[in-house]
Amino acid sequence: MAAVLLIGSVMKFAIALFSAAHAPSSRRALLFAQAALAGGHEIVRLFFYQDGVYNAADSLVTPQDEQDLPQQWRAFVSDNQLDGVVCIAAALRRGVLNNEEAQRYQRSAVSVGAPWALSGLGQLHDAIQDADRLICFGGA
Amino acid sequence: MSTLHVLSHSPFGDSRFTSCLRVLGEQDALLLCGDATYALQPGSSPFERLQAAGLNLFVLAEDLQARALDTPDWAEAINYAGFVELSIEHDKVNTWL
Repeated sequence: MAAVLLIGSVMKFAIALFSAAHAPSSRRALLFAQAALAGGHEIVRLFFYQDGVYNAADSLVTPQDEQDLPQQWRAFVSDNQLDGVVCIAAALRRGVLNNEEAQRYQRSAVSVGAPWALSGLGQLHDAIQDADRLICFGGA
Repeated sequence: MSTLHVLSHSPFGDSRFTSCLRVLGEQDALLLCGDATYALQPGSSPFERLQAAGLNLFVLAEDLQARALDTPDWAEAINYAGFVELSIEHDKVNTWL
């Protein structure tokens, strides 16, 4: 019954994405996130983990006749001023670096900028504590 | 305590579908999306298992439509707003990644 009472009230979602930008599940995550906001709900944090870090990479070039998911994520996070966190360990091992990490490890390629933040797995844990629901997307 | 189980892998490629049906509780619901909607291919083994199981079955309409499949009368087709509502109606959401 408790669940029934929650219908109609504002829910806090934490959304974790595990798949790369070309995977159908990444688009599904974006559509779910858009629907959650459209339904008047709150997204406490988006956490991009494992191959999900590629969704935050500026260096991805999507063919013109396909959905440019990294761009759509960027616009969605910016427009709605969301907290978009990219797992730093997952990002480093995939060469997805922001300016600070590129300098730290003396690499020339910088592929993550605003609105993303590179941070630790603790940010996912923290978001799960804060949210009413954790929704994960990944795989196929 | 109820759980919404979300499947997106094809039931013909691995054992997620079978494992999911095994752990599904009476209060739980199953949402098929992506290639998992192939489970609704009439005449297939997954189709017959779902039909016989009599569970709370939902399917993402656009993923079903993209595969030219129909919604049987024992399943409910939903959009993303419906997906959000389902995730609220259940206490937990378990995605079979």
